[in-house]
Amino acid sequence: MSTSEGGAGLKRTALYVVLVGMAGFYLLPILTGLFTSITSPASYTGQAPFLPPLSPLLPETGSFSLQSWGNAFDGLARGLANSFILVIPATILSGLFGSMAAYGLTNVDWRGQVGIYALFVAGIFIPYQAVLVPLTQFWYNVVPLQSLFAPFAALPLVQEYHWKLVALIVTHTAYGIPICTLLFRAHYKKLSTEMIEAARLDGASVSTIYRRIVLPLSVPMFAVVFIYQFTQIWNDLLFALTIVQFGDASVVTQELVGIGVSQSGTNFPLRMAAALLAALPTLVVYVLFGDKFAEGVTT
Amino acid sequence: MAELTLDSVTKVFNEGGSDEIVAVDDVTMGIEDGEFLVLVGPSGCGKSTTLRMIAGLETVTDGEIRLGGRAINDTAPADRDIAMVFQSYALYPHMTVRENMSFGLEESTEMPDDEIRSTVEDAASMMGIEELLDRKPSELSGGQQQRVALGRAIVRDPAAFLMDEPLSNLDAKLRATMRTELQRIQDDLGVTTVYVTHDQTEAMTMGDRIAVLDDGVLQQVGTPLECYHTPNNRFVAGFIGEPSMNFFPTTREGDALENERFTYPLPDDVRETLGDATNVTLGVRPEDVAFAAESEASAEHDFECVVDVVEPVGESNNVYLRFADAPDGETFIATISGMRTVSSGDRVVATIPPDAIHLFDDRTGEALKNRSLDDVDGVDPT
Repeated sequence: MSTSEGGAGLKRTALYVVLVGMAGFYLLPILTGLFTSITSPASYTGQAPFLPPLSPLLPETGSFSLQSWGNAFDGLARGLANSFILVIPATILSGLFGSMAAYGLTNVDWRGQVGIYALFVAGIFIPYQAVLVPLTQFWYNVVPLQSLFAPFAALPLVQEYHWKLVALIVTHTAYGIPICTLLFRAHYKKLSTEMIEAARLDGASVSTIYRRIVLPLSVPMFAVVFIYQFTQIWNDLLFALTIVQFGDASVVTQELVGIGVSQSGTNFPLRMAAALLAALPTLVVYVLFGDKFAEGVTT
Repeated sequence: MAELTLDSVTKVFNEGGSDEIVAVDDVTMGIEDGEFLVLVGPSGCGKSTTLRMIAGLETVTDGEIRLGGRAINDTAPADRDIAMVFQSYALYPHMTVRENMSFGLEESTEMPDDEIRSTVEDAASMMGIEELLDRKPSELSGGQQQRVALGRAIVRDPAAFLMDEPLSNLDAKLRATMRTELQRIQDDLGVTTVYVTHDQTEAMTMGDRIAVLDDGVLQQVGTPLECYHTPNNRFVAGFIGEPSMNFFPTTREGDALENERFTYPLPDDVRETLGDATNVTLGVRPEDVAFAAESEASAEHDFECVVDVVEPVGESNNVYLRFADAPDGETFIATISGMRTVSSGDRVVATIPPDAIHLFDDRTGEALKNRSLDDVDGVDPT
């Protein structure tokens, strides 16, 4: 008895050591960033980065200051606004289209639908890097989006440079549809066929069945798709750099590239504060919809 | 309210392919206006496929389906003026009971909202679910969900009801209650109903007529008692009746039928019905096997047996009998009064009266002779 108890105690200790070690490993960079961001830039020494700024108690750590957060917000304000303008429509549209596509490919019977679905799945694996140059060509030389969009600039709150964000929204929607279709299809496969047949017998058309029955039942999956797409599109730098390029329409990921870096050196507290600020929206989204995410992914 | 006709209806899946399946093979039958017809058969016999073809959820490979004289093969399911009740109820989980029942009226009619509301409330009171109208299906018990599914069908006021094993998901007691209630409702509404089940008890108790299917082929259409007393073939004889008919494979030897365990002499008139058949199956229903008073076999249709197992049902006992020289497990059933006590291991004399036997041709399965009903009072299968 005692040996197994002792053995169990040893196992438990080892388990906790591993868990604490892993937690520490993952949290340390964020903690370092947090502590750096609340250090005043003037007193920042770059030493003992994982200790909070407690000078004069710990002389190497620098003094506390929230100045960097304020500066970060000023610097990123436009990028944050542009990111929101990008992410909200792109997430909603890719989710909606993915849901419609999945419905048509799963709950409606027609010839050749498996082949079409295979094409959608193949679309998930397109490497973004491979399509960068064609995309630039497309948006700058082939489609006259800039001139098409110009009349909209007369509307309040709309700027001329927003056409680049429209291009980015369309791109992200298009490239997001395959994964959204995949996620919704998994969910729609589980819908009762008899229920859909009952709706057919009740006189509902294909689109009515989608609107009144399938769509309301997809809410848990929409939460999953929303979180996933929001995070993917918010964090994307590649398409943003290529299509929007630096300028008025830059999104927050682009703004992060250059903030706090100048000829006089690197302002680490500012860069850390900016990075954490840019990550905040995705964190909030996860907090709000996180349990729906866990529910939707496991069912 | 209309008559439903199936005319040589056939359904083939994967036609022409290597895995071609003939699910329904040339089924022809007529269902009269207001009739309750039960489609019964073992799993995979094609009864659900037939029902789905009537509903329009499956296409018809060959043949014609007519409702009220009009061919509906190519009509969309929603336009066929039929309502269906599914085995799993198929309720819309995100809608309340009221919304579930209104959905069909909203989508396929031009009824104004207040009329829909009153129609739904009428149907709900007929089903006894008025207090449940604002609940969601997940808040209801199985029996209540079933009533909602029925109510949803009733509200449509269709020309025909189609029911696909609606009682299978209910517990035994609830099933018995719903059986009677379904019959009462169908009687009140007078709507032509096609009811699919694999349970022969439901078929016998509910149907005006029953249609027995096996492997896609229609075996017999008739009233429950017709199918019970005068089955067309061995399949119907064995399927209808619980516990099922006893079958003994025999060969004809002169005046009698020879079996490994016994010899059964045939009366002259019965012998004539055999024609030139040599391999014949002798069938006798458990309730027709009687116990003789003597302890030894004296008459020519008495056989000495040993009791193997006794199943008390309450009002009767199902006694599993074994011929003296038969191995364990080779038994036939006799149903006797519940008041008689018999125990396992008892030696008894079983009588198989010749006017109660059924004879089936082994080659075709066809019934050569069914039991005579002359001496039975008040049994009129038609």
